[in-house]
Amino acid sequence: MSKQPENYVLAKALTIVGLVLGALFAGLPVLWMLASSFKSNTQIFAYPPRLIDESFSFGPYIAVLTDPEKVRFFFNSYLVSALVTVFTLIVGILAGYSFSRYDFRFKKTLNLIIIGVQSVPPITLMIPYFGLIVVLGLYNTYWALILTYMVFTLPYAIIMMTGYFNTLPRELDEAVMIDGGTSFTILWRVLVPISLPGIVSVGVYTFMLAWNEFLFALTLTRTTDMRTVPIGIQLLMGQHSFEWNQMMAMSVLGSLPVLLLFLLFQRYFIAGMSAGSIKG
Amino acid sequence: MKKLIVGLLVVVTLIATGSALTAQETVTLEFAQWWEPELPAGEFRALMDEFEAQNPGITVELISGPYSTTRDQIVAGAATGTMADVVGLDGAWVSDFVRQGSIANLTELMAEAGYDDSELAAQIQIDGSTYMIPVVNFVYPVFVNLDLLEAAGVESLPSTRSEFAAAASALTDPDNNVYGWVLPLSMEQPNGIQNDVMSWVWASGGSMLKDGRPYLVGNEDVISAVEFIKSLYDEGVIARGAFSLREQDKVEEFTNGRVGMMISSLAHINLIRERNPELNFAITALPAADDYDGPRGLPYASWGIGIAENSEHKAEAWKLVEFLLSADVNSRLASIANAFPGNVNSTPDFVQTDELFAAAFDVFQAGYLANEFTGLPVAEQLMREFNEPFQLYLDDEMSLEEFLATAEEAWNEHFE
Amino acid sequence: MGNARVSKALIKPQKATRGRRTRQLIPYIYLSPTILLLIVLSFIPIATVFYYSLMDNVIITNTPPSFVGLDNYREILSNRHFHQALSNTLIFSVASVIAHLILGLAFAMLLNTRFLGPTAKAFFRVIYILPWVFTASIIAILWRLLLNPNGVVNYLLIGMGFASTEIEWLGSRQLALPAVTFINIWAGYPFYMVSFLAGLQGISADLYEAGKIDGANDFQLFRFITLPQLKPIIVSLAMLDFIWTTHQFTLIWMTTGGGPVRATEMLSTFTYKLAFTSYQFSQASATAMIILAITTFVAVFYVRNQRLANE
Repeated sequence: MSKQPENYVLAKALTIVGLVLGALFAGLPVLWMLASSFKSNTQIFAYPPRLIDESFSFGPYIAVLTDPEKVRFFFNSYLVSALVTVFTLIVGILAGYSFSRYDFRFKKTLNLIIIGVQSVPPITLMIPYFGLIVVLGLYNTYWALILTYMVFTLPYAIIMMTGYFNTLPRELDEAVMIDGGTSFTILWRVLVPISLPGIVSVGVYTFMLAWNEFLFALTLTRTTDMRTVPIGIQLLMGQHSFEWNQMMAMSVLGSLPVLLLFLLFQRYFIAGMSAGSIKG
Repeated sequence: MKKLIVGLLVVVTLIATGSALTAQETVTLEFAQWWEPELPAGEFRALMDEFEAQNPGITVELISGPYSTTRDQIVAGAATGTMADVVGLDGAWVSDFVRQGSIANLTELMAEAGYDDSELAAQIQIDGSTYMIPVVNFVYPVFVNLDLLEAAGVESLPSTRSEFAAAASALTDPDNNVYGWVLPLSMEQPNGIQNDVMSWVWASGGSMLKDGRPYLVGNEDVISAVEFIKSLYDEGVIARGAFSLREQDKVEEFTNGRVGMMISSLAHINLIRERNPELNFAITALPAADDYDGPRGLPYASWGIGIAENSEHKAEAWKLVEFLLSADVNSRLASIANAFPGNVNSTPDFVQTDELFAAAFDVFQAGYLANEFTGLPVAEQLMREFNEPFQLYLDDEMSLEEFLATAEEAWNEHFE
Repeated sequence: MGNARVSKALIKPQKATRGRRTRQLIPYIYLSPTILLLIVLSFIPIATVFYYSLMDNVIITNTPPSFVGLDNYREILSNRHFHQALSNTLIFSVASVIAHLILGLAFAMLLNTRFLGPTAKAFFRVIYILPWVFTASIIAILWRLLLNPNGVVNYLLIGMGFASTEIEWLGSRQLALPAVTFINIWAGYPFYMVSFLAGLQGISADLYEAGKIDGANDFQLFRFITLPQLKPIIVSLAMLDFIWTTHQFTLIWMTTGGGPVRATEMLSTFTYKLAFTSYQFSQASATAMIILAITTFVAVFYVRNQRLANE
């Protein structure tokens, strides 16, 4: 018993060291991005490099925030990402439920297809896909982006939800059925609330993917009022002029609400602690 | 009294029908380009508004996209039938778009409109017909950092290759992170081959083609140019990281005073002034081979314009093209873009008011526009296929003969 | 196992009252939005690409397309640039996936630790997720800035004495691929981390309790409980990430463009250049189909594995 406190202290120390090192690994480049967003464009390339220098100014941020076009990019990105997340979660949960709880004839084939469809490199897919969207009359609409991103994110969503549902025991289902519930009740009232960690991770992933996507956002939108943030950043790289600091500023500004959202939802990663105890 | 009322009714009806008819005639032209974001805010739109005022019944919708993806988007647009009526084009794309059948024959449109094309400084033609007209041109002279030059004790701006090599040598000071020249050889946008490598060939009146076909092996002009660059590379006067350096990085190095000389676009004059007002720099022509004193070819990139083949409003589209190329508008556009005009009768105002631009204009007038990649098939891929063995040659992994043979062989495959 | 039999027995009475037909249709009903979406927006474009791969003169020419059968495939498979792209992609993907797994798991464990309170953990979690919040173009720009010969990484390395001269990270044929792989590892580990964080919650606390009663230490708990419980997720993530990394385009294109001299040429950049600078859409489509075949092989392997795991 006397060994316990020593081990505890050592383990805690190592954990904290590990956490700090990891945080440096993750955060230092981002810190540099933040620092660059306050510099003048020349100073970004100055040598020797400094974190903060005399050209420090909020100029880039003001330039971005006072440009209605750029603000619109933020709005479009948030709207599309949020909608994609909600729809993917709904469709993914439904699909995951069927894969987890049911055996049916085409189960393996469908499983394979769902994974397989994302195996084609998006660049080659771009033109035929673009043609299809035009034929469907969805060109330059939010729906084009929403449906496209759903196709990209569903495979992961389904795999993750299936896997998560698989860890939940069938006794839960039975309990509901004995009470006269339908399959939908099982899903909605029992499985989903317990699966919050899985749902949050799928939600975060979906949001990030939609938020960061560039190629299809560029191809499927036409007018400036439909463009998203990644395109907005690229627009700052002209043929002759390049506004590095504004690019960094746009990135930083765009990321803040996303980080806030994550901060809000990350506590649900602990929600599942109760899952195990229901079993008892 | 009755007659008056009937008369009024008739007149009103006529006016109503008349305006209804003209209202139906409103044509909306879509103009896809990358120019708007690069010009001062609102200026390009103002030009469009002017055009609309002069042409009632036509409205212009500007569609702006990032330059780096413009070509891909035009290809995709042509393939799906969503291409804009009027498109901004780069010379390197013309040949392939003609092959795709996505851009219209402008010679025919000019004939239909009865347009006199003698004002045009250049027309990009394939098989004798014009498909793209450069609206404004960005020439690529040599920029020299005068402070560094002076500090190194070099008296005058280099005019021959040996002078250039000597200046680069004198300027290079690795301990202080200063180099004589900068060479962007990135694979992503391999324009370096056009602007920074082949330009040496053209500046001495040479050519990389013979009878329209690749001529690299045994081509004395090309050989002397690449050997010259290799000598600079071996001597260590070229800034580090050349193999992944891009045009933007090149400009940043120069702006930060770490490079003495660079070949770059006129458009960067104001960029450099804005970013580093302290920098004291000058413009000069590309050095020629020591024994050459003929006119010097000057590399250039242009903002070209073309019309979509499947546009339903080709006649109106031509009016827009004509507008942008007319002497007065072209002067103004060239002025705000800091470029040279596409109309021979235009003079941008900065030529009179600005010393550096005046110097560039002199270089321009003393030489000729030279960019042999314009109008070649898969021009960007050609540059890349030259770049790869070139990098190996610079690194001593390939001999000169092998390098030129590899490049020429790869090029020939596109010239069937 | 017994549970499954019991639950199946309990479900049987339902079958009789609901009707066989309806019961069998239920999973398909739940899957209908997925199936609809994938058929319309995935199958049709993929089928078109497959069609293109069998033709010549697609998209970029005035002459109509002509059927050439497997010619495009033969040309691609015998193209040595394709081989180089393939080998680079494999190295890049495998290294990325392994590093992602290790980092993702390590960080998830760290961020799940019992040694810190929820606020501290929340703070660290937000920091660790940072690389994920940025689009590939800006990550490429940022790292080009950091790895510039005159950039801050070299500055620190030289200052601390680890290097004597500026290292050309992205410009050297030897260092470019490792550099790009490192950037990809940095940009992609949060995906694993978040998935593992979710997965860790699904492991019943009872198992850990039982383990501790048996006298296991932290390391043994990890090895004999955590890892096996996470195995299905690990396999899924590895497979998905492998597929996605194979398609990674923007990051590589904007850092090195496939250079120098094809040192970082990937299947994605190879295909892009075929399609948009050489305008060989049919060959690009053939390449896409080859990539599809390779990844389907991996996917089949995964599905087989899943079936075994469930039994």
